[in-house]
Amino acid sequence: MTQKEILDELKALIVERLKFDPRRAADMTAETTLPKGLEGSLGLDSLDFIELSVAMEERFGIVIDETENLTDEFFSLDSLSRFVLTKVT
Amino acid sequence: MTRVIVSGLGVVSPYGVGAKTFWAGLARGDCAIRRVSIIDTEGLRSRIAAEVPAEVLPTLGVSRRRSRADRIALAAAREALAEADLSAADRASMGLFVGAVGGGMLEGEEWYCEEARTGRPSPRLRALRSILPVSHAELLAWRLRLGGPRETVVMACASGAASIALGADMIRSGVTPLVLAGGVDALTRICFMGFNALKLLDPDPCRPFDRSRRGMSIGEAAAFLVLEDAEHARARGARVLGELLGVGMTTDAHHVTAPHPEGEGMIRAMVEALAASGRDPVDVGYVNAHGTGTPQNDRVEALALARVFGEGGLLVSSTKSLIGHTMAAAGSVEAAATLLTLQHGLVPPTANLRDPDPDVPFDCVPICARPAELRTALSNSFGFGGQNVSLVFGR
Amino acid sequence: MTMSRRVAITGIGSVNAAGQGGSSAIAAALARPPEAIAALKTFPVERQSGLAAEVDDAELMALFDVAEVRRLSRICRMALAACRLAAREAGLEGGPRLGLAVGSEYGDFRSGAEFFNGFLRRGPSGLSPMIFPNTVMNSMAAVIAIAVGAKAPSITLNQATVAGDLAVARGAALIADGRADAVLAGGVDEIFLDVYRGLAALGALSPMRGQGREGCRPYAPDHNGPVLGEGATFVVLESLEHARERGAAIVAEVRGSAWASLPVAPHAAPVRRRDGSRTVRRALEQAGLAPSALARCYGSGNGDPSLDDWELALLAEDGIHDPVSLAPRFGQHGGLGALRVAAGALAARAGAGPALVHGIARGGCRAALVIGEAA
Repeated sequence: MTQKEILDELKALIVERLKFDPRRAADMTAETTLPKGLEGSLGLDSLDFIELSVAMEERFGIVIDETENLTDEFFSLDSLSRFVLTKVT
Repeated sequence: MTRVIVSGLGVVSPYGVGAKTFWAGLARGDCAIRRVSIIDTEGLRSRIAAEVPAEVLPTLGVSRRRSRADRIALAAAREALAEADLSAADRASMGLFVGAVGGGMLEGEEWYCEEARTGRPSPRLRALRSILPVSHAELLAWRLRLGGPRETVVMACASGAASIALGADMIRSGVTPLVLAGGVDALTRICFMGFNALKLLDPDPCRPFDRSRRGMSIGEAAAFLVLEDAEHARARGARVLGELLGVGMTTDAHHVTAPHPEGEGMIRAMVEALAASGRDPVDVGYVNAHGTGTPQNDRVEALALARVFGEGGLLVSSTKSLIGHTMAAAGSVEAAATLLTLQHGLVPPTANLRDPDPDVPFDCVPICARPAELRTALSNSFGFGGQNVSLVFGR
Repeated sequence: MTMSRRVAITGIGSVNAAGQGGSSAIAAALARPPEAIAALKTFPVERQSGLAAEVDDAELMALFDVAEVRRLSRICRMALAACRLAAREAGLEGGPRLGLAVGSEYGDFRSGAEFFNGFLRRGPSGLSPMIFPNTVMNSMAAVIAIAVGAKAPSITLNQATVAGDLAVARGAALIADGRADAVLAGGVDEIFLDVYRGLAALGALSPMRGQGREGCRPYAPDHNGPVLGEGATFVVLESLEHARERGAAIVAEVRGSAWASLPVAPHAAPVRRRDGSRTVRRALEQAGLAPSALARCYGSGNGDPSLDDWELALLAEDGIHDPVSLAPRFGQHGGLGALRVAAGALAARAGAGPALVHGIARGGCRAALVIGEAA
């Protein structure tokens, strides 16, 4: 998979699993930030991140260790798709 | 001012039937968390829990047609009432507060599974009739002839403790001199799978306050206390097992699953309970912690304990390390443990605690029970969604 | 009895099948003839029960900024909307002295089914961690507490038929006992396919025993069962002193409240069983009123024949007759008891005199509230 393909899959997961409006997906780019508290971000909290991790594990066939500190990886769609890329290759 | 004492206790636990059996297990420090047998756990990260032993169910004297949760609730309630030795007139005005979450969902899930298997709704509808949490109170009020105010309190992991707190309030405000208060939860697929999905379960038996703790273990139980106006108890010569000195109830209003990071609601609940009890933090010799074994809960709870009690000088242990997190029953089964601790002068240990977390500034009584002269003890229950209850008991 | 504080009602909010809003919207819905019960719109029904009083989803969602309720289940949205309406009307602020009391008959069954169906369809990987917290009935309270900043106790009560009544009684007790200065108290339920079908299959909906025309006709000779409704209704209960100190507009006062059990078998409604706990008498004594001083009684009778008859017999014992049911207007759901409290409060404010809000459920849970002008 390319990073772009992963990015598109992530956007689909965010709509489907985190119940975002599908129209919002069109506005999401690699630069879109994720965590709550950042201006202009998607405003995701800990519960969203758990859901997203589980969804990512299923969609990409990867394993995410929840004891690891993944704050940097979950910062933006760019960092997250890179993270997935390292796990699938 | 009205004082509230405890004149009866009933427990069905992963150790078996009865408060005596319960205490014996706690005193021995037996961990009852084992491979799950009553539901299929294939494909789940954690496959262990503390179940009420299979051989115990048929001995409870409650029809097999009732849900598992109804059965253990009625048995525990009967034991408590038998100990309190009340007249029919007493029962006619006695309040009933039941903490419940899962209700008869175990049997309801079987109904759903059958529908999924056959493609048609199952005709066996009885499972649906007692699916809701309220079913326990309906059964108990009828079978035990309780005519006072009745409430089914759903407060996640704090349900059993909230029932005791609200029941005590009823007595203090003079509505009734007697309340049967407690909680019950039987294992359900939804609960077990849900905590698995949230990655909050340890694949091995939980290790509260341990440096390498990884999560909770689930259990099932029922526990009921007879709460009574002290004057009423004295007048009829009732046994007094202990006194409920004060309670605190608060809400974090922070997040649906995570506690407030500085334990703001937990601290307020403990401070409120202590203030109501008329005792000072320095009087408290033992805290029965919420102590689930998740990295987050134990860290925040330890922080909150240190803020209220100062560091050290206090024994802390987690009943959940021995019998798992019994959900809606936890608050009441741990209240029972706290009462028994005071009675026996012996603090049940935190099981599986081999490497205490250095950030927890308390003696968490690893592995072996500890004799201790105790006058006052506090029990914490901190529910999902930030709903907190603290109970202060005295000898 | 220890001295306890007087409890006022300072705000009302509701989202229900007849509309949504605060006091004026509810008063308007009460003044109109009942029209909310109609054929179910949201799912097909095969059996003989097919009526319901449904909330308009578009109207419900118009109360929200979509992004803020992204994760909230439908029942949580209803409860939150009603609480916000009530809190706004009362000018209520959050804090450590604001509590919650939420009553519900079925809770968020929808989320429970969705969660479990994820497993049935896809095994363990089909489990959604995000949905799981909604499967516990106190999720509505947790969500409301966060939204309004309610940090005093938040109590969720599960009870059939009188969930709303019980929540108001429990909320008033929290204030009287000093655990809170104000409590958002009320009830909520939504209509969900599995619950509707389950109840219909159990013969619990009109037409019970398949006899007669389907419909909600409480206390009528041809009553033949309840019709389900949905929605959330909350009142702001407040210590009278606290309300006066902050200059809040007082709608009415909860002048008496009592609740008790009649020990009967689960789901039973035996018309001959009497109430040894004198529930209504106790509530009236607290209010300092004789039964003859009541302007009206709002009853919980919803067309279930045994329940209607039992309620009439129990009320007659205290010389109370001709209770009024709101079930034809709003359908049977957890918010109905709070709607009866609201109706009593609005009538008292209009000078109609004190009302008894009475409820009895199958299985014997009984509640009585006396609502009157705040003297």
